[in-house]
Amino acid sequence: MKCVLVATEGAEVLFYWMDKEFEESLRLKFGQSECEGAGLPTLEDQLSTLLAPVIISSMTMLEKLSDTYTCFSTENGNYLYVLHLFGECLFIAINGDRTEGEGDLRQKLCVLKYLFEVHFGLVTVDGQIIRKELRPPDLEQRVQVWEHFQSLLWTYSHLREQEQCFAVEAVERLIHPQLCKLCIEALERHVIQAINTSPKRAGEEALHAFLLVHSKLLAFYSSHSASSLRPADLLALILLVQDLYPSESTAEDNDTQETDSFSPAEEYFTPAPSPGEQSSGSTVWLEEGTPPTDASQVQVAEDTLQTLVPHSPGPSSPRRIFLDTSVKENYCPMVPHTMYCLPLWPGINMVVLTKGPNTPLALVLYQLLDGFSLLEKKLKEGQEVGSTLRSHPLMGDLRQRMDKFVKSRGGQELQSTWLEFKTKAFSRSEPGSSWELLQACRRVKRQLCTIYRLSFLAAAPGRGGPHLPQHLQDRVQTLMQEKLTDWKDFLLVKSRRNVTMVSYLEDFPGLVHFIYVDRTTGQMVAPSLSSSERTSSELGKGPLATFVRTKVWALIRLARRYLQKGYTTLLFREGDFYCSYFLWFENEMGYKLQIIDVPVLSDDAAPVGMLGGDYYRKLLRYYSKGHPAEAVRCHELLALHLSVIPVDVLVQQAGELARRLGEASHVPLL
Amino acid sequence: MAASDSTETKSASWWSYFFLYDGSKVKGEGDPTRAGICYFYPSQTLLDQQELLCGQIAGVVHCISDISGSPLTFVRLRKLKFAIKVDGDYLWVLGCAVELPDGSCKQLLDQLIGVFTFYNGPVSLAYESGSREELSAGWDTFIEQILSNTSDLHRIFNSLWNLDRTKVEPLLLLKAALILQTCQRSRHVLAGCILYKGLIVSTQLPPSLTAKVLFHPAAPRDQGPPPGGDALQEGGAALPPDVQIRPVFVTEEEAVSLYEFPGEPVTSTPASAARLQEPSAQHPPKGWSTPAPKENNPGHTEAMAWGLATTPEPTTPNTVWPDGSGENGHWCGRDWESVGPAKPRHSARGRGPGLGRALVKEPGLSWGKEELDLSEIHIPEAQETETSSGYSAFPHVRAPEGAGPGCEESGSDSGSPEPKSPKAPPVGTAIGGLLPPSAPEMLMQNGAQEWLGHLSGDSSQAPVPGEDHLLARTSGPLPACCSDSGQTGTELPVGGQGEEQRDDGGPESCPGPGPKCDSGSADPPGDDLSADRTDSRSAPASSVGLVRMNLYTHCVKGLVLSLLAEEPLLGDDAAIEEVYHGSLASLNGLEVHLQETLPQDQAAPAPPGRAYSFTHYDRIQNVLTANLPQVATAQDRRFLQAVSLMHSDFAQLPTLYEVTVRNASTAVYACCNPVQETYFQQLAPVARGSGFPSPQDSAFGLPGKARQKLLKHGVNLL
Repeated sequence: MKCVLVATEGAEVLFYWMDKEFEESLRLKFGQSECEGAGLPTLEDQLSTLLAPVIISSMTMLEKLSDTYTCFSTENGNYLYVLHLFGECLFIAINGDRTEGEGDLRQKLCVLKYLFEVHFGLVTVDGQIIRKELRPPDLEQRVQVWEHFQSLLWTYSHLREQEQCFAVEAVERLIHPQLCKLCIEALERHVIQAINTSPKRAGEEALHAFLLVHSKLLAFYSSHSASSLRPADLLALILLVQDLYPSESTAEDNDTQETDSFSPAEEYFTPAPSPGEQSSGSTVWLEEGTPPTDASQVQVAEDTLQTLVPHSPGPSSPRRIFLDTSVKENYCPMVPHTMYCLPLWPGINMVVLTKGPNTPLALVLYQLLDGFSLLEKKLKEGQEVGSTLRSHPLMGDLRQRMDKFVKSRGGQELQSTWLEFKTKAFSRSEPGSSWELLQACRRVKRQLCTIYRLSFLAAAPGRGGPHLPQHLQDRVQTLMQEKLTDWKDFLLVKSRRNVTMVSYLEDFPGLVHFIYVDRTTGQMVAPSLSSSERTSSELGKGPLATFVRTKVWALIRLARRYLQKGYTTLLFREGDFYCSYFLWFENEMGYKLQIIDVPVLSDDAAPVGMLGGDYYRKLLRYYSKGHPAEAVRCHELLALHLSVIPVDVLVQQAGELARRLGEASHVPLL
Repeated sequence: MAASDSTETKSASWWSYFFLYDGSKVKGEGDPTRAGICYFYPSQTLLDQQELLCGQIAGVVHCISDISGSPLTFVRLRKLKFAIKVDGDYLWVLGCAVELPDGSCKQLLDQLIGVFTFYNGPVSLAYESGSREELSAGWDTFIEQILSNTSDLHRIFNSLWNLDRTKVEPLLLLKAALILQTCQRSRHVLAGCILYKGLIVSTQLPPSLTAKVLFHPAAPRDQGPPPGGDALQEGGAALPPDVQIRPVFVTEEEAVSLYEFPGEPVTSTPASAARLQEPSAQHPPKGWSTPAPKENNPGHTEAMAWGLATTPEPTTPNTVWPDGSGENGHWCGRDWESVGPAKPRHSARGRGPGLGRALVKEPGLSWGKEELDLSEIHIPEAQETETSSGYSAFPHVRAPEGAGPGCEESGSDSGSPEPKSPKAPPVGTAIGGLLPPSAPEMLMQNGAQEWLGHLSGDSSQAPVPGEDHLLARTSGPLPACCSDSGQTGTELPVGGQGEEQRDDGGPESCPGPGPKCDSGSADPPGDDLSADRTDSRSAPASSVGLVRMNLYTHCVKGLVLSLLAEEPLLGDDAAIEEVYHGSLASLNGLEVHLQETLPQDQAAPAPPGRAYSFTHYDRIQNVLTANLPQVATAQDRRFLQAVSLMHSDFAQLPTLYEVTVRNASTAVYACCNPVQETYFQQLAPVARGSGFPSPQDSAFGLPGKARQKLLKHGVNLL
């Protein structure tokens, strides 16, 4: 009984996702109306009908009380509703089977919002335009867009339940230094350099390339000119790849939804999945893709957006994605990139990220949009009116930059909008009211967003925009396949048995499981933990493995909850286990720094994690303020012990374990 | 710790809104929302704002309940949270600050509804028959009372306000218990509690009922006729000075528990030893098995347990609360139930059930007639059984005792583990000898109770594990006495020495024990507890099963004696006289002693050298022991924050035993079991670590420290 809904203030559905049980409950509820002849309203309409009162009430409360709903629960916690307002869009997550807590639901909403950003970039800044992107007037297009994100949510939900890396939200490495080195060399020479030296690259510049074995990272290489890739973005890309090419074992699990289960491969990997199943997986993907539009038909006026013609890219066609970068020391979020996902073998994929020639435009647009957003905020709060606004330092700078941009860019509509704003804001004769200014400011923003959208979304590679020629893609793909062909089977097995607990049992008696996370690099190490029917782990199959898994997941959840409330150490005994959690900071040399009081967050804050809100990046920034001179690293250790182990021994073990893992992780792998 | 005088909470930033909304008044399009607002706190809220909140929340409640198929109970905003209860057309809403744990907010609302219903009856009835102004005035004083008396910790746990027992002479507590037991022997009187300056001195009631009596706008205030009740009756009888009797409404479960306890002791007295032995053998465990349905057995057992608990109290004053003891009893019952080992008991009850059920149903059905039915039915049986199997009842009682001590120890004993068990048995025997009051009287009064006792006894045939022990222990004279005997036993010596006893029992000291036992059993609150608690917390407001009773309150300066009695009490001048005169002298004496003993500065700051903070919460009795000062320091606030987090988790994760949390400023250790939760924080400045796992981190030494330090507070974590 799960459902996610994104709606506008007016209860217009921008996106929804639900599982079969929830759909069934809707059917029961609206069943009677069916016989009346009009036919069953679509799911979308049903949802809107049901939840409209809540959405509207939530907006009313915001308006009248400056506060709004964040959570509902019904008797005995049978149903849980989590609401989160992002800009003008209200996100609602519902759980009716008690399998998810408030934190889980909020996390899901934040991840969904993040996925929207990855797909639409700064277009998400403007409520009007993102509305059109998420809900194209054309029904067929709408179905495509929604199916794409529905599938992503399924994949995310599944990965979060199955993969430790998604449970703690960190990238899991495949630990094999020798092979890693080999791959990095290959990525550098045969992929990045090969592409960037090719005359036919159509202005695209390859920035990053990496290899994934299932959801684990084997090797990563960035070109010298590239800014570093945020771990959160990397994890999001892994999610996209998993969604594009679900692990082959997924298809074998035919008991659940198509993308619903990614049970790991068997102990001894069987390479070729049955063709039928495989194809069924990919057909789904043929119908989906990024929100389609056709550059040829694009016009500036926003009301013509709906005329854009869909173009469904195949699964392997390049995609437009938006990632954070630092360009020339300037932080710039959501810079357009093109992602090429090149499958080498089932379960093993190579991803290449390129940027197009017009990246600087993205930076300029971001700065302008940022400025206007700030202005809008001030206007909304009613702080700046009339002369104070004109003299505001922000305004001068913004005006100068905007003038320059308009001159270089042209565009009649932009020009007139900007002129209108200037009249309202700077004219001494007829200064506009605060409300008029706000409207003018929004119009300028919308124009900027439209340009952004036209430049990066409408001209997306998937829609016929510039991208690497197919033969170039094929070449690097083949080259990489040749390099790895001897390792293929090994890699697939290795990915399932990455780190084994066996190597720790002797030194740490009583230790059942652990997860070690380097939050600076966003990477984690943990013994493999698989409870799949088909895979045996050290814990055996079935109930025991499942039991330990639930313990670990519960530990993760509780640790997050307490970290959110400012506790960096947690130790608790539940049943026959001791669960412990530690967070600490150290400098580059591994010297342990003094802990500080970390912020206590409210229940409706973005949950602790990386994908939705990037808590750890903020935490590191917060801590670094007190340590400006040195690079600060943040680590976490989660451990599960048998409760017969005395606490002091447990803590000692945890310390020793962290020390050992820390040393190992200092070996650079990237 | 007593929160009585704390003024810190007056600002009440934690309590934002409370309102009662009648949706039936706002059905049509044109109906103004304000028409449905029965009560709104704070009353100075702008009407528009009131309408906004009522209208929006009512709308959301409707919508969400519709989608989910289960009622909406909780809404959180960014800066507010609302506990919500739907009761027919009525909507109860309590708005609190977000810092208050969700669960506490819900519990508080349930408590509010419970208190309202207790004094006014079902909400719909109350608002039909009473005027909004009067009811609102009642709410105002009530809320005022809560706000001025609720400390940070009480807010988190929704615990009852207790006298700090460590500051009171144990004998006084004992005396209070005896007063209650004496009163219980009077006609119609079922059970009661004694409050001093708004704090519980002793109670025989289950926590849910105690809370309702506790929240009572102190008797004197409400001279006017109670809104929903029959004021007329009051007027009819000329009540003794300082006495007030008002009709109240008790939930069915509470009523059942009230009836259960008293029976046993009475019967026991007459039957005496002979009965004991025989019946006990036959019907051993039922009563004590408690696990059985809430109805009879649990009551007995609990009662027993309670009795035991009470006895121990005197000895180990620190931990055990008078009230608590009763609850302890409960706990036993609960425990068993929850544990589920004793299930056979249910079957045992089989016999009893018939009767038991009858009883249970009666309250609901009878409404007006309850008394008659009960008395009729029960009395005959009681008599018969008494003579024949009356003992069975006793055995039960005893059994509980035996069981009780054990239970208590495990649970609430934290405070006073050691002495209880040993003491109880001997006492019991002693009492048995002493007891036998007039059997007939007993029967008359507690017919129902007795009856119950029988039931339990009979039904108890099923082999109860604890029985044997019980029997063995109780083997002595009268089991019923035993429970009391625990107390009496202790008392007796005391009594002989001190005069207090006399006050309590008066001339009838001998019979007193018997009755006392009953009262002890009366504590059956235990049952109530289990039943009530769950009920009250989950669905207190249900107006369906309410039983009318009379609440007799007698104020002697700061001291208030509150007794729950069957309805006829109001018309029975003789009975009132009896209660009044039977308790007046003792109450006066108790009041004087309490005033002398009790330090004026209840709110005294914690000792300056305080090296640690702790809170010990008794889940069964719903009482707290703590050493936090009235005004929280920064470190105390950190402690409170951790406590509220962990308390929520303990409530949600039943397998969670121990938690240690740490941030840069403090470390807090907590542990819990089914009957108690304990929180411990060391105040000595701790060298800041790195957070890296290190055995030197003092946080991991907290469990040991807590065990060692808390022993002297009567909290046993071993």
